[in-house]
Amino acid sequence: MKTDSIRRLLLVVCGLLLLIMTTFYISLTNGTFDLSVGDIVKTLLRVDPVAAHDLVIFDFRLPRIVLAMLIGLGLGIAGAVIQGVTRNGLADPGMLGINAGASMAVVLFMLIFKQSLELTGWLAFMAMPLFGLCGGVAAVILIFWFARSNGRLEPQQLILVGIAVSSGFSAVTLYLSLRMNPDDFEAAAVWLAGSLHSANWQYITAMLPWLLILIPYIWRKSTLLDVMQLHDETALSLGVPLTAQRQRLILAAVGLVAACVSVSGGIGFVGLIAPHIARRVVGLHHSRLLPISGLVGMLMVVLGDLIGKTIFAPAQLAAGIVISIIGVPYFVYLLFRSRT
Amino acid sequence: MSGIRKWYPLILIVSAPLLVALTISISILYGAKDMDAQTIIQALFHFDPNQIDHQIIMQSRLPRAISTMLIGAFLAVSGALMQGMTRNYLASPSIMGVSDGSVLMITLCMILLPGASSLTMIVYSLIGSAIGAGIVFGLAWLLPNGTSPVRMAILGTIIGTFMSGVTEAAATYFQVSQSVSFWYNARLDQIDPVMIRMIIPFAIAGLLLALILARSITVLSMGDEIAAGLGQRTGLIKGLSMLAVVLLTGVSVALAGKIAFVGLLVPHMTRYLVGVDYRRVIPCCALFGGISLGWCDILSRWVNAPFETPIGVITALFGVPFFLYLIRRKGGKTNEN
Repeated sequence: MKTDSIRRLLLVVCGLLLLIMTTFYISLTNGTFDLSVGDIVKTLLRVDPVAAHDLVIFDFRLPRIVLAMLIGLGLGIAGAVIQGVTRNGLADPGMLGINAGASMAVVLFMLIFKQSLELTGWLAFMAMPLFGLCGGVAAVILIFWFARSNGRLEPQQLILVGIAVSSGFSAVTLYLSLRMNPDDFEAAAVWLAGSLHSANWQYITAMLPWLLILIPYIWRKSTLLDVMQLHDETALSLGVPLTAQRQRLILAAVGLVAACVSVSGGIGFVGLIAPHIARRVVGLHHSRLLPISGLVGMLMVVLGDLIGKTIFAPAQLAAGIVISIIGVPYFVYLLFRSRT
Repeated sequence: MSGIRKWYPLILIVSAPLLVALTISISILYGAKDMDAQTIIQALFHFDPNQIDHQIIMQSRLPRAISTMLIGAFLAVSGALMQGMTRNYLASPSIMGVSDGSVLMITLCMILLPGASSLTMIVYSLIGSAIGAGIVFGLAWLLPNGTSPVRMAILGTIIGTFMSGVTEAAATYFQVSQSVSFWYNARLDQIDPVMIRMIIPFAIAGLLLALILARSITVLSMGDEIAAGLGQRTGLIKGLSMLAVVLLTGVSVALAGKIAFVGLLVPHMTRYLVGVDYRRVIPCCALFGGISLGWCDILSRWVNAPFETPIGVITALFGVPFFLYLIRRKGGKTNEN
């Protein structure tokens, strides 16, 4: 029994990695400038490098794919945590307004600092996720405050409050972005749509520390997340300080989302779908659910980005939009299945 | 209905023309170029095509003021009809996916029939409204407990997200994003004057239908069983109300794109002031809707002058807090008022 489930886990991990690598490969070779496998291997191993190949791979394609993978990983795990903590299968950072809150804070940051202080370069890139975190936390506080009635959270009310909060934040974001000068506005608009178009290595270094710290932190708490699936009374009688732990976990998840949003804008539905698929394949234990959910998220964003940039070529459709077109039918399906 | 509240309808009827006139004249007065009252009166009664100020007033300011108020009225009446008919306090054209359906079909129209006439565009927009409403109400009907206010609102917004995603994908693929962005951001400064004239018959049909149905909607808002018990053919009434909603929302989206929250907020305000009799609610909604959107438009020109702010930002400013208040106060209850 036990070996069986481990074998299954290994199989799932290998399958997902294989799919991700395939997408990675297609994404790296296909495009306006076609490259062969040989070219890529040569460029990566620095065997007689060609300047043009270097440019395409290291400056355009590779950062974009790596960024997509990291974002997927972060959003997938954040989604699993939020669904686990709220015990709400319909929760998603995008739909709860966390993305929108973080976006607003980042646009505010762009507006304030890019105009007055000329704070560019590394510092600005590193500070963006911090601002995003503040916005995300503000959104979370608002949502929980409004959705709590008689001391308990009504699952669907939570979603609806999230939708309302997120449309409020987007309106503010729109207003703020219109106050920018035209160049910044262009950049903000591309970024807001959840596009990976402007990916570069700076973005990756800006978000990497967040993932490196928060993901292990969350993973260490996976038993706690398991316990949280029980009734509150049971969890409390097991000696778990529920409220405090919930707050910490939510904060960690918001941190992940903020790091992702500050580099790519809002990509919704990854945090909704990835945990569901993961639960289907590896069951309910969070120690397995979390990494698999991250991998599924990774696959979704890489694939979404690939679809967005190849099918719509020469124009590009933001990965966020591709994923939301796929995500909505799935959400409706989940709504059909959930009773109450 | 006691004390001063009894007089609200009368006060409203007397003050209505004044309020409308006030809104229109302020909307004309205020703008990138300030006008004085005298110029406006001259432009209205002794139009001189050689004067730039007169041209601005007649070609730009006045059509804008009037069409904004019409759109507000249409959306508010649509919202009132939907709220009364479904007994769902969150029902409104933008939340239930009706507006998104229109935007989608207008986009498809621009892709399939480039250079289509205004009339074709309006027809497509109406079809889109019907499709949007059809999908959302159909799914709500299929879902277990799907017609509860909160579930239906979630379903509506999510289907709306889906349709706007498809719209964006189609617009990007066929590279018409730029011309579609107008319908997305509701820029009232670009309203097509030909379109305003074209929508009038549709709008009149929709408004008349709404007024004729008002009495039956009052009965329906007490619940399907009571309405049926009183001998009402609820199916027919619901179908006709939906037709009115589709007509009114369809023309307003064709005219100015998607404007959220007017259809949600105004009917609540109106019911608070004039009670639950839809024979009063519907005309008062039209009045309030027009005036509110007129003021939102004035505000949208003022907050970031001399640039315009999309009117959606202003309606969200009032709409979102109200939306949150409604959810917090009523939760998942099915309750018409």
